[in-house]
Amino acid sequence: SRGEQERLLRTSTTMYIGNLSFYTTEEQIYELFSKCGDVKRIIMGLDKFKKTPCGFCFVEYYSRADAENSMRYINGTRLDDRIIRTDWDAGFIEGRQYGRG
Amino acid sequence: KRRRVSENQEIEDRLESLILRVGEKSTSSLESNLEGLASVLEADLATFRSKILRILTDCAIKMPEKCTIYTTLVGLLNAKNYNFGGEFVEYMVRNLKDSLKACKWDAARYSLRFLADLVNCHVISAGSLLQLLDNMVDAAKEDGVPQVRKDWYVFAVLSTLPWVGRELYEKKEQALEHLLVSIEVFLGKRSKKHHAALRVWALDTPHPQEEYLDCLWAQIRKLRQDNWAEKHIPRPYLAFDSILCEALQHNLPTILPPPHHDSYQYPMPHVVFRMFDYTDCPEGPILPGAHSIERFLIEEHLHQIIEMHHLERKDCAAHLLNFPYKLKIPLDYSIVEVIFAELFHMPSPRYLEIVYGSVLIELCKLQPSTMPQVLAQATEILFIRIDTMNTACFDRFVNWFSYHLSNFQFRWSWEDWDSCLQLDPEHPRPKFVREVLLKSLRLSYHQRIKDMMPDSFESLIPTKPEPKFKYAAEGAGSLPGTTSAHKLVVSIRAKCKPEEVLHVLQDLPNPRQDEDVDPRFNPLKIDVFVQTLLNLGSKSFSHSFAAISKFHYVFKELAESEEAQICILRNMFDLWHGHQQMMCVLIDKMLKTQIIECSAVANWIFSKDMSGEFTKLYLWEILHLTIKKMSKHVNRLGRELAEALERLRHAESDSDESEDGDGEGNNNSGQRGKSGGADDHEKPSEDMVDRMEERLEAAQADQKNLFLIIFQRFIMILSEHLVRSDTDGRDFNTHWYKWTIGRLQQVFLVHHEQVQKYSSTLETLLFTQDLDPHILEVFHQFTSLRA
Repeated sequence: SRGEQERLLRTSTTMYIGNLSFYTTEEQIYELFSKCGDVKRIIMGLDKFKKTPCGFCFVEYYSRADAENSMRYINGTRLDDRIIRTDWDAGFIEGRQYGRG
Repeated sequence: KRRRVSENQEIEDRLESLILRVGEKSTSSLESNLEGLASVLEADLATFRSKILRILTDCAIKMPEKCTIYTTLVGLLNAKNYNFGGEFVEYMVRNLKDSLKACKWDAARYSLRFLADLVNCHVISAGSLLQLLDNMVDAAKEDGVPQVRKDWYVFAVLSTLPWVGRELYEKKEQALEHLLVSIEVFLGKRSKKHHAALRVWALDTPHPQEEYLDCLWAQIRKLRQDNWAEKHIPRPYLAFDSILCEALQHNLPTILPPPHHDSYQYPMPHVVFRMFDYTDCPEGPILPGAHSIERFLIEEHLHQIIEMHHLERKDCAAHLLNFPYKLKIPLDYSIVEVIFAELFHMPSPRYLEIVYGSVLIELCKLQPSTMPQVLAQATEILFIRIDTMNTACFDRFVNWFSYHLSNFQFRWSWEDWDSCLQLDPEHPRPKFVREVLLKSLRLSYHQRIKDMMPDSFESLIPTKPEPKFKYAAEGAGSLPGTTSAHKLVVSIRAKCKPEEVLHVLQDLPNPRQDEDVDPRFNPLKIDVFVQTLLNLGSKSFSHSFAAISKFHYVFKELAESEEAQICILRNMFDLWHGHQQMMCVLIDKMLKTQIIECSAVANWIFSKDMSGEFTKLYLWEILHLTIKKMSKHVNRLGRELAEALERLRHAESDSDESEDGDGEGNNNSGQRGKSGGADDHEKPSEDMVDRMEERLEAAQADQKNLFLIIFQRFIMILSEHLVRSDTDGRDFNTHWYKWTIGRLQQVFLVHHEQVQKYSSTLETLLFTQDLDPHILEVFHQFTSLRA
């Protein structure tokens, strides 16, 4: 439900990262997002058919505060020459890593 | 009736917004706004007295940059309504006292400054303020209290004088002189052992790196020389002199600083960071000199803006560039200097390093015609002066610069730095370039780094970060583990179980059969397993992590002892020495999953095998992440125990209040909760608390042990170097020595809160009097931080 979704977003430690270059690797994302705190895991968004990176990923932190900092200080800055966007995510669920083909 | 309540609410809100916004840009003058607001408030004083008192005090503390605007307002109100003036002073005095008791040092300082400025507005008598300042300086004469406490009281008084010095000088010259003499005596006797540890540069050329109280004292002396004429603070009350001088003044009550308590934490001393003087700035407004009070006031104001807006980097940049006195100073230079001052602040920056990096990016975006050049000039200056930069700041400089470059297409005129190529590779300049490229590589990719660098820099360009799998290399056939490694590859690819891995490894001979220390430790098994597994997972961090967690059991089986854990690290290094970031995250992962212990990492870093890597930044990144892991663990257990104790106390006082006989029932229900993270509201059992205490003690013992290992290894390696240099008749002060002593200093400072707890153990066991004075000095600098 909508209320449930909003509650999840308010407590989430997961970020959705968009506008990545298709060539940007998990390692690069790790390096940048670690500047805001300990990263728990990164899930690369993959093309549904080709299973190759397709410009987005999820970054999960251990703590909410670190995730908030990534929203403040990384959103709208550059990685691999592209201005990347960060957004709150309600939490990764298996299957969501596959983007539109 | 309800209607009246909501009407009142509306008026209150309107008053609040009027008070909050006075002094902001407006079509009419500040003076007429203040006059108007004073009349409005006067009319409402009868009904909204306490509300107005509260809002005004809040503004005084939360917007210290508008101090003189609000003091003028209070002055005007006092002239109209003497009683209200008295109540306000009372309110503010209570605020000061409460802040002092609560160790809210900045709030206390802003209250004090406000009271002082009320002297200028004829609300408070000069004599009673001087009495308060005297009492505060007396706190600096107490015996048996920490120096940092005395320091703060003196700092509070000195930093108030720019506001009220002139008035005190005119009205109470003698008493002011007396106050200054007391301060001078205190400063003359003060120990400054911490100074060396906190400076960004070891050298005082071209700009002295002054201890903060010394610097402020020099600025105040200069101000006194200038007859207390200061040019930075706006003083709107001057326009109302004829009204204000008619008003009656209040006397402050006697205010005594609350006595010291062991639980009080005082601000630590710091060094005033300076990288520019007026010759660095282009023509235009002149940068005030290092000892002019304006420099202090501007810097303090800019730091305040950063504090206020650090959560919103765009606002922060905009407010910095909107500095109210921007036409009177070379603002870009002041901003850049203040931001680097925060980034290089010792022992640690106030906020995350990325806060400063991201604000600098925004500043460049908002002011593209000047800011990038100023920042380039600053980088150049930092690079030229890097020879004596302290090691912790060197790291922060590397991290910031690579991050900044990655946000600006890695554009930099590297050719300007090619003279560094002639220097010893361990010299800080080539070292800086190499480390910047390594960090840039992490944010980018190898080809990009190669393409952006001039050919002449080839020797500093990192190699491509790839695994070196020896069992697939040429000549691998002669290695004793090759056959098993190949079998293992097949098994793991076929998704075998952890037990099967042990089966594949079981026939490998143990090369250390003669030594019967730990028969389960077979370095060849670890070698084949670790290198093969990590190589199979080499595609990405996720693949490596998945491999480690799937075969966690095998790691635990093969490596119980610390020696065996170090063997894992050696093999990881063997495979991944070309990929520093990978090594950092793998170690992080293996610590988290308890495959290796912190002490193993520490011993590995100082082992002979790693001597070739010893001055590289990443190795220290690993050490610090290891120490932090341990600290987090200890802190978490401490927090959980404190919470449990709190619940226990709470439950007991609850049951005291309720009927007797509840106690035992509660105890039973406590036991239902699982050990550790029990339900918030459930009362923990005594048993549980005991177990938590034991766990915390064990963790603290581990932490202490970790620090003992690290410091002992530092002492051994440094002593050896010093002795050898002495016997060989060579200068000990080599690049290696400077890096190593710098790293020792860094461990003390970065983790000072944790190390502090074991200070006396360290003093009795390791940092004893017979130690070389160079090493002992580092320890003494550390202990004097909170002395």
